[in-house]
Amino acid sequence: MNQTPVGPILQFDGVRLTYHTKEGETLAVKDLSFSVRGGEFMAVIGPSGCGKTTVLSLAAGLLAPSEGKIAVRGRPAAESAAKFGYMLQKDDLFPWRTIEKNILLPLEIARKNTAQKRAAALALAKKYGLGDFLSYYPDQLSGGMRQRAAPIRTLAADPEILLLDEPFSALDYQTRLSVCNDVYGIIRGEKKTALLVTHDISEAISLADRILVLSRRPATALAVHEIGFGSLAPLKRREDPHFPVWFEKLWKELNV
Amino acid sequence: MKKSYSSEHLAFLKREKRNAVIVRAARIALLALILGVWELIAALEIVDPFIVSSPSRVAKTIGQLWADGSLFYHVGTTLWETLAGFAVAVTAGSLIALALWWSEGARRVLEPYIVVLNSLPKIALGPVIIIWFGTGAASIVFMTVLVGIIVAVMHMLGGFLATDKNKITLLRAMGANKAQILVKLVIPSALPQFIGMLKICVGMAWIGSIMGEYVASKAGLGYLIVYGGQVFRLDLVMASTFILCLLAAGMYFLVVLAEKTVIRHPR
Repeated sequence: MNQTPVGPILQFDGVRLTYHTKEGETLAVKDLSFSVRGGEFMAVIGPSGCGKTTVLSLAAGLLAPSEGKIAVRGRPAAESAAKFGYMLQKDDLFPWRTIEKNILLPLEIARKNTAQKRAAALALAKKYGLGDFLSYYPDQLSGGMRQRAAPIRTLAADPEILLLDEPFSALDYQTRLSVCNDVYGIIRGEKKTALLVTHDISEAISLADRILVLSRRPATALAVHEIGFGSLAPLKRREDPHFPVWFEKLWKELNV
Repeated sequence: MKKSYSSEHLAFLKREKRNAVIVRAARIALLALILGVWELIAALEIVDPFIVSSPSRVAKTIGQLWADGSLFYHVGTTLWETLAGFAVAVTAGSLIALALWWSEGARRVLEPYIVVLNSLPKIALGPVIIIWFGTGAASIVFMTVLVGIIVAVMHMLGGFLATDKNKITLLRAMGANKAQILVKLVIPSALPQFIGMLKICVGMAWIGSIMGEYVASKAGLGYLIVYGGQVFRLDLVMASTFILCLLAAGMYFLVVLAEKTVIRHPR
């Protein structure tokens, strides 16, 4: 399931998106250009309601840009939906399926539910501590444990890029720090490319290699910062003296 | 392995058990009180038993129907009509709801017609149904279907449309097509709505079949009620109503049993 880090894997080039409703039209994204390198963890932060989730939907091909280009390895994003793995605010595990069945869901969808793929997905679950819980239903697990199962499910179909839409925001603070650390370990361990959307500056600094700062709506790129913590784990980063410096800088940028 | 609890928890469990027994005893006592008062009113002729009948007279009438062999004939007739109408209404209603979920265009076109059909008192179609299907069981089954199907469609469509949007996004991001979203997500997540719809349709099916038998029938519990009313045999009316209560409760209980078997984890 490993993937070697390479050059830009996802490219936004002059992207513009306008929503049309009976009430009128809303310009959500304007001239947005950025790229995500293979194997890196990129975070997107921005003011509330600026269109962060819209950026993920555009990347996954769930929304088509009104103008501009979005490319995955040079191909239009809409043609490569199966190469993305999505993680949302809630764990969104299917309550009528056991953890094992939930983890195998992406394989069923991709019609790749072969014995070999199943074994690989279940090995991944065991590797990250879910081995004893495979026969459990989601309502039998704690919120933190469910949120640990969600990335395993996302990784089961071996996606190229993980799209994380505020995946820890529904958890209490303590659980959040712990799950954040574990999920980072899983994504790094599997050498995956990740694009995280969050409203939490600390979370972005503790997870990302680079941070894209978006403006108020219509969203456009204000800055891209190289954080430079390397593969330091999220909890360790919070203890680093550079952490509050970055926080201060990003806080000011968001509140300009 | 038996769990060991604190004495405080054991006392709590004992209180809960005692409360449950009290509630059950109160229910039985209430029924006994109603039956007792009813029997007394008739026995003391406070009201003419010819008009109000009495529990003992109802029991005697059921005994007579049993003895002359007509009990199972009438119960069987109504039960068959009700179950057939229920099955058709539930199946067709769910399939129509699925089709309407699938096609937003069809949903928008048909919405006003569904609302009007839901508001229409189905009994108004009685004469039309008799002309179309005659005075036999087909008319009654059709009436039963008519009473239940719109409710089934509306209830199930509401359930399908209430599917968690985040989960749909998740499946779409995995590359799922519409049929996969339907099979893997929409149908399983609407199971509680399906059970809820079954519960409503149990009541609707009995309303439909008895209403149908009022309009046109030669047998069945509805027929006995109408006949009993016409010849002033209130014992027969009450006995048939009592049997209806038992059958409807039994069918509802079966749905509750199915719910407990099928839905083990909260949606």
